[in-house]
Amino acid sequence: MSGPDLHAQLVALLPRLRRFARALARNAHDADDLVQLALERALEHAGQARADAPLGGWMFGIVRNAWIDELRARGRRARVFAPAESAEHVGDASQSGYAEVLSVQEALGRLPEEQRSAVALVLIEGLSYKEAAHIMQVPIGTLTSRLARGREALQKMLGES
Amino acid sequence: MTFSDETLMAYADGELDGPSRAAVEAAMAADPEVARRIAQHRALRSRLHTAFDPVLAEPLPERLLAAARGTVLQSSPGKVTALRRAPARWSWPQWGALAASLLLGALLGPWLVRAPGRAALITDDGAVLAAGTLARALSEQLASNQPADAAVQIGVSFRSRGGDYCRTFVLREKSVLAGLACREHGAWRLETLAASESAAAAGGEYRAAATALPPAVAGTLEELIAGEPLDANAEAAARERGWKY
Repeated sequence: MSGPDLHAQLVALLPRLRRFARALARNAHDADDLVQLALERALEHAGQARADAPLGGWMFGIVRNAWIDELRARGRRARVFAPAESAEHVGDASQSGYAEVLSVQEALGRLPEEQRSAVALVLIEGLSYKEAAHIMQVPIGTLTSRLARGREALQKMLGES
Repeated sequence: MTFSDETLMAYADGELDGPSRAAVEAAMAADPEVARRIAQHRALRSRLHTAFDPVLAEPLPERLLAAARGTVLQSSPGKVTALRRAPARWSWPQWGALAASLLLGALLGPWLVRAPGRAALITDDGAVLAAGTLARALSEQLASNQPADAAVQIGVSFRSRGGDYCRTFVLREKSVLAGLACREHGAWRLETLAASESAAAAGGEYRAAATALPPAVAGTLEELIAGEPLDANAEAAARERGWKY
């Protein structure tokens, strides 16, 4: 894919990349950092973008990988800096007890990464199971069960069960 | 005929075709419970859209437009290992690869020029070594068991790719210094340092500073670490061995 073409397509994809990143990382600034990192990685490896495959799928995969890298880095830091991590959550809905009402964003943020990605790709980005499974590099059956578990958990948290 | 929830979900997502689709539709018409569950799946999708679609209408940040066009000037875009995070109240001038020359800098000066025996840092043949309180804390203090008000707070301890033991720390006196030191030849050699410009840190801010690693230190940690950080037991064991392996 030629340079200017790729750049134009990336610009066109930006709104969706931002929406996807926002579903993964709740914080808007973190989400935009993810998108920026993904764009940088994509342009570095532009040769790997296949002209015959949708650029969107490739980019969603890069955004998700950047997010997984970030979660691992946070995990390493959190193991030692646990008090700071929990301090961040002071005042979170988790403290409001039994009658807790979560926003959709909060509920999604509580899902394990695998379920969150599946929900974001299929239910928010509107990808087919096949496309989502390809991006997450898992068989369709795995994608389907992550999606089902994610959905069920969301419905419980949002009071729709 | 009964359907698994996964089948109903697949139907709601438009993933079924031909006979399976027709079978679910027939069941929907006959059984209000089936219809209800499908409606529930659809309702969740629409709630998610209501929550996240507004992002699509937001103005695009300039930095992302520039990045998409490849016009962003990054020193080394490929080496970004952690998200760039704007410090909230802290500003951290930072140095990697320490050179003896910077020791003359105004910021580090106070850490070096002290009454004899009280300096936190000393130079040795171009390297910067921990001394005094800092060296003692690096050798003796366990992150798993340290007083919250200790002048030095130990963060992460880990084995470097070169096999040395390394530890991150935050040192607070009149200003705040964060860094990463590795045990080599019986001394703690500083790999990176970041100083806070804030002169007097209040208690609450100190806590934040001690627990959030400045980007320079976090970056060096990512670069050096082999595997995972030491847990409390491994940390204590490493201390027992005098940080030798």
